[in-house]
Amino acid sequence: MSEHAVQLSGVTKRFGEHTAVADFDLQIPRGTILGLLGPNGSGKTTTIRMIMAILLPDRGTVELLGGSPDFERRSRVGYLPEERGVYEKMKVLEQLVFMGELRGMTRQIVRRRAMEWLERLGLEEWASKKVQQLSKGMQQKVQFIGTVLHDPDLLILDEPFSGLDPINQDILESIVREQRQKGTTILFSTHLMEQAERLCERVCLISRSRKVLDGNLKELKRRERTGAVAVEFEGDDGWLTRLGVTNPERVDDAYHIGAGYGIEPDRLLATAVSERVELRRFELLEPSLHEIFVAHAGPPETEPALRALGGVQ
Amino acid sequence: MRQVWVILRREYIERVRTKGFIIATIAMPVLMIGLLGLSVFLGLQAERSARDLALVDLTGQLGEEVAAGMEAVGYDVELVDAGIAMQEMDRRVLEDEIEAYVILDDLTLQEGAFAYRGKDSPGRVRAALFENVVVETVLERRLSFAGSTAGLQELLRGGRMSFESLGDEQSEMERVSGIATGFGGAFLLYFTMLFYGAYVLRSVLDEKRNRVVEVVVSSVSPWRLMLGKILGVGSMGLTQVGIWVGCAALIGLLGLPMIAANWPAADVGELSQLLPGVGSLGLLLVFFLLGYFLYSSLFAAVGAMCSTEEEAQQAQFPVMMLLIIPFIMQMTSIEGSGLPWMDWAALFPFFSPIMMYPRAVAGAVPWWMVGTSLVLMAAALIGTAWVAGRIYRVGILMQGKRPTLRELVRWVRQA
Repeated sequence: MSEHAVQLSGVTKRFGEHTAVADFDLQIPRGTILGLLGPNGSGKTTTIRMIMAILLPDRGTVELLGGSPDFERRSRVGYLPEERGVYEKMKVLEQLVFMGELRGMTRQIVRRRAMEWLERLGLEEWASKKVQQLSKGMQQKVQFIGTVLHDPDLLILDEPFSGLDPINQDILESIVREQRQKGTTILFSTHLMEQAERLCERVCLISRSRKVLDGNLKELKRRERTGAVAVEFEGDDGWLTRLGVTNPERVDDAYHIGAGYGIEPDRLLATAVSERVELRRFELLEPSLHEIFVAHAGPPETEPALRALGGVQ
Repeated sequence: MRQVWVILRREYIERVRTKGFIIATIAMPVLMIGLLGLSVFLGLQAERSARDLALVDLTGQLGEEVAAGMEAVGYDVELVDAGIAMQEMDRRVLEDEIEAYVILDDLTLQEGAFAYRGKDSPGRVRAALFENVVVETVLERRLSFAGSTAGLQELLRGGRMSFESLGDEQSEMERVSGIATGFGGAFLLYFTMLFYGAYVLRSVLDEKRNRVVEVVVSSVSPWRLMLGKILGVGSMGLTQVGIWVGCAALIGLLGLPMIAANWPAADVGELSQLLPGVGSLGLLLVFFLLGYFLYSSLFAAVGAMCSTEEEAQQAQFPVMMLLIIPFIMQMTSIEGSGLPWMDWAALFPFFSPIMMYPRAVAGAVPWWMVGTSLVLMAAALIGTAWVAGRIYRVGILMQGKRPTLRELVRWVRQA
C-alpha cells in the first residue's frame, strides 16, 4: 500500500485558452487532513475533479489510494462535490440507502447507519420527507451523510462548509475531526483561511492555477516566522522604551514588537526578566495563513474570479 | 450487475410512485371505458325507461304482426282498438300514461310510411327498429300474394358476398384483424418510444444538472448507469402498457359474452377473430424492446450532451424526426402495405418498429423481410448503444456549451 492517499505529479489541465491547473504536484500522506486553499477560480475544484477522474489531466499523472483512479478505488472515496447534488424528489432515507447500495453495502446495514447519522445530525424526523422539502443547509447535511456513509478511506470535500450556519459548521467540523481520528485521510478545499487553520495538519496553497506552497501547517508557520513577538505584562512600558521600542503596535493588552526594531526575542526576554517585569505572556508571533498566503501570492482577491468549471475541452 | 439493479430499481420505483404515472396509467383506460360505458348506459336507460307504447291500426291487417315485432325488440305495445278517438290517444300521451303511439294506415300498406306521435323524438335507434319491423311486415304481407316468400326475403335483406381466399389461408376476419392490430401496434410503439425515450432524456439531464451524477459515477461506471436507467424506465413502460393491455383483454373477455347475450344476431366466433393473437402481441413486445432500447440510448446520449432544458428541446429534434417520419409514412398506408418502396424503407432499423410491425402482422411482407429487419435492428442497437454509451460517458460530466459534431466524434473516439 502506498504511503500516499493521493499523489499528483506534473498535472496540467487546460480549458481552451485558459489553464485551470498548471504543473501541479501534491502528495497527501495517509491519515492526514489536508486543506486545499485558494481564492475562487484558482483551480481547487478542477484539481479535485481530476483526482476523482471526472476530468482527465492533459498532462501528468493522478494516483488515488495507490493506483489509477478506477471505480474500485473511487468507491472507497467519499466525495462531496462543490455543487450540491441530490435527487430532490427522493425521500431522504431512500436517497442515502441508494448511495450506500451503489457502493456495495447491503440494504439493512445502510438503512441502520443512515438512521444513526440522521439522528446525529438532528434530521431523523426528516427521514421520510422528500429532499426538496428540506432547507439548503439540511440538504447539504444529507449529502454529507451520503459521503461518509460507507466509511471511506479517503474523504474529498469540495467547499464543505459554505452555506452552513456557524452551529452546523461546528458540527461538521467535529465530524471531520472524528473521521480523522478513525484514520481516514481527508482532503478539503476552502477559501476560508481561519477554517483551514483550525482543522488542517497540512495545507496546500494555490493561486492562479499554480501551487504556491504546501506542507505541514505547523512547520510552515515556524518557517514563516518573522521574529515578531507579542508581550503582555503588568505595569508601565518604560523598559520597552529603554530598549529602543517606541510606539509599539498594541493589540488588546499586548504589545506587538515587529522584526523592524532589530531586537532578538532572546534579548527582549532576558531584559524583561532582569528588569523584573511581571510578564503575563511572551509569544513568538507566527503569521496567519492569510498573511503567509498574501506574502507568497499577493493579495488573493485581486484575481478575477474565473470559475474553473469543467467546461468543454 | 448489482449496481445496475440498484439503479434500475431506483429509477423504476421513483417513477412508478409519481402521481403522473398513476394518473396516466389509471386515468387513460378508465376514461376511455368510462366514456364508452356512460354513453351506452345513458342510451340504454333512455330507451328502456320509455317503452310503453300504443299501436293504432287503421288498416286492420298489420296490427298484430307489427305489435309482435315491436315486442320482440323490447317494447311494451298495447294494440288499441281502431275506433278510438285521436284526442283520447293524445291525452294519454300528454298525461304520460304512455310514451307515444304509432298509427298504421293505408299509406303504410302501400309504401311503409307511418306516424309516431309522442312528446319526445323517438331517437335514431327506435326509429330504425320500428321502420324495420313495419317494412318487413308490410313486405311479407304483400309478397305473400306473389307466392313463395322464402328466397325473396333474403334477397330483400340485401344479399351477402362471401370472400373466398385464394393463395394464403388468411380469412377476411384475420386480414382485418391484422390491419387493426398493426395500426394499433404502430401507434402504441410510436407513443411509447417517444414518451419513454423522453423520460430517459429527462432523467439523464436532471442527474447531470443537479450534479448527482458526479457522485454516482464515482462508484458506478457510466455504462452501467445508462443501462440501469434505460432498463428502469423501460420496466416502468412495460408496467404501464401491461396494465393497459390487461385492461383491454379484460374488457374483451367480459365484453364478448355481453355482446353475445344482448345481440344474438352477432357471430361471436367471428368477432373474437378480430382480437389480436398471442403471436401478434409477442411480436409487438419484440419490436417494442428493440425499438425502445434503440431510441432510449439515443435519447440518453442527447440528454448527456445538453446542460439545460432548452438545449435538450432543440437537440432531441433529430431523434424525434427519426420517429415522426416513419409514423407519417405509416399513416399514409394504414392498410399495412403502401407504396412498394416503403416496404424497403421499413427495413431501416430506426423505422422498423413503426413500419415493419404493421406489415408483419398484416402479412403484407414476406417473413424473411421481418426476420431481416429484426436482425438489422439488433445490429443497429449494438452500434447505437456503443456510440451513445461513449457520448454519455463523456457528456454527463461536461458542463457548459453543447458540443459540436466534431467534438462529439472526438468523444466517441476517446479511449
